[in-house]
Amino acid sequence: MLSMKNISKVFKTDLVETHALRDFNLAVNEGEFVAVTGPSGSGKTTFLNIAGLLEGFNHGDYFLDGVNISNLSDNKSAAIRNEKIGFIFQGFNLISDLNLAENVEVPLRYRGFNAKERKVRVERALEQVGLAARMKHLPTQLSGGQQQRVAIARALAGEPRFLLADEPTGNLDSLMARQVMELLEDINKAGTTIIMVTHDADLARRAQRNIQIVDGQVCDFSMYQAGENRGKTQSIADAASVA
Amino acid sequence: MFFYYLDLAWRSIKKTPFLSLLMVLAISIGIGITITTLNVYKMASINPAGERSSQLFALRLMSQDNDTWERLTPQITYQDAYNLRKSTIPVRQTAMFRTGLAVQTEDPNFSPILEGVRVIDSDFFGLFEVPFVYGGPWDKQVDSEGGYKVVISEEINQKAFGGVNSVGKSILLNRKPYQVVGVTAQWNPSPKYYDVNNGAFNDSEQIFVPFSLAPIEEYESWGNNNSWRHEDIRTYSDKLASEMHWNQYWVELDTPAKQQEYQEWLSRYVEQQQRLGRFKHPEAHGDISDVDKWLKEHNVVPEDNKVLVGLSVLFLVVCLVNMLGLLLAKFLKRAPEVGVRRAIGASRLQIFSQHIVEVGVIGFCGGALGLLWAWGALYVLSSKFDLEQSLAQLDQSMWLIAPMIAVSAAIIAGLYPAWRICSTNPSIYLKSQ
Repeated sequence: MLSMKNISKVFKTDLVETHALRDFNLAVNEGEFVAVTGPSGSGKTTFLNIAGLLEGFNHGDYFLDGVNISNLSDNKSAAIRNEKIGFIFQGFNLISDLNLAENVEVPLRYRGFNAKERKVRVERALEQVGLAARMKHLPTQLSGGQQQRVAIARALAGEPRFLLADEPTGNLDSLMARQVMELLEDINKAGTTIIMVTHDADLARRAQRNIQIVDGQVCDFSMYQAGENRGKTQSIADAASVA
Repeated sequence: MFFYYLDLAWRSIKKTPFLSLLMVLAISIGIGITITTLNVYKMASINPAGERSSQLFALRLMSQDNDTWERLTPQITYQDAYNLRKSTIPVRQTAMFRTGLAVQTEDPNFSPILEGVRVIDSDFFGLFEVPFVYGGPWDKQVDSEGGYKVVISEEINQKAFGGVNSVGKSILLNRKPYQVVGVTAQWNPSPKYYDVNNGAFNDSEQIFVPFSLAPIEEYESWGNNNSWRHEDIRTYSDKLASEMHWNQYWVELDTPAKQQEYQEWLSRYVEQQQRLGRFKHPEAHGDISDVDKWLKEHNVVPEDNKVLVGLSVLFLVVCLVNMLGLLLAKFLKRAPEVGVRRAIGASRLQIFSQHIVEVGVIGFCGGALGLLWAWGALYVLSSKFDLEQSLAQLDQSMWLIAPMIAVSAAIIAGLYPAWRICSTNPSIYLKSQ
């Protein structure tokens, strides 16, 4: 599904070169739920941005769904993001001027779906997160947890095969965080591959596989062991977690 | 997607009403000034003869002696005008000049009015396609034998006869009765090309009397009277026989062959006059100019107008630079939202298009408001600063030109801000929102 080989990403200024990722290697199989942990500045978000085609990289190869995306045009990258990838952000990133239905509809607009198809998908996605009754509300009229569920609905509306979540529970209290996590687990069970960056060791433990990034490299990982180790995965996230 | 972008544009404008209003005002003022000057320039540049422009010719003669004027003047002498009327080559021809007469009716309640009057031959009406409400021109016979006939405008007909068909009725001009033979419909060519000598943008005369009556009624010329030598002119007859230039002359020549034939006839006329002791200038000749050439030769559209249009365009550019700054501030403030849109599948081109549509909407609003400014400015220029009415009318084409210029100009101003916002790295804003 996702394969990164020897990916390097360097941020350059006039004075400093920062190696955000160096010889980064990772393979994620279809249907996996992978938690990515690591200290601040380790390169987690850079990895997520590269995985989501939001940033380029300097060296290496990146294959997504069998497609080498190293030299894709902006249009092609945008199309892949739109069709195959769903994003969930820590700050929800809903568009404040648009109501819930309109927010969920945004990626479908760019995908070129007609009004009827958009309506069906928006309703289905909002039902999936339990907010179908509030589709005309503005984001500011919702709690943090509800907003994150709308963001999840927006990510799901296009039926992506791949969900990238950057600290999805970072701005939520523990109850809301648990609800969102349960929602993500349900989505994963339905077949969507999820990569979740988190600082929360408890949440990381609930993923099928934990990856720790330190100094721009995958430090260690526990191999996915079909089903039996779910929740018991030997994780180094405990040791490396940064609250 | 266009309608989606329109919807987003409208939401954005509503979200930042003050900033949007500033931008609309900036572009509208630029457009208002540009359209005002452009309108005046366009109205002044219109060739009112239209398709007949190449068939109507103003005639000039270099009748002066050597060491006087070195150029052709737009008027000719009465004696030349009288002689030229004998040619049978033109389809139509008319000698003319402007005079003024006191107008009265037999109604004692009618207050006399002093009106500008054009002294013409009957061909004038056909030559310049003057429309009639009632009646028509006087008979050709009147042009040679004289006759107290008159054609009045609808406006005079309204004042003097209450608007009813006055053909056959009498009207007093300088206390002398003239029989009304025709009433013209609204006719006011701008520029008034048939007599640029007496104010190219003045209104047309409302009353027309036969040229053949000039020696009898001794109509005074209300136009320029230019002499190239000193002459002792004591009587009207002296004036008619003088070398003073005060008449205009137009001919209609509908084919190139006729134009050539008439030009040759004119050369023979000059030679004949030279044999009679006139036209002593070594370059003495006759010249015919079609309407287009005539308007250009007489600088009907002054160069100042072009400079004014140029300056107003520069002002528009200044307005656009201001708008560019405001757009940049507005768009970059929206970078986090754009980051989200990019992350969930919008391409750079789609983001660019969204913002260009928004700029276009602002430009359109600016264009519409600019038209109102232009309309107001023309009204003020006309009512307070004596700009001729014919130039102060907002040309219909401006309703299309103003929004087109405004939208195009706004889009040009919006290219850089739209490019900046679509080029920003979305990942920077996704984490920080």
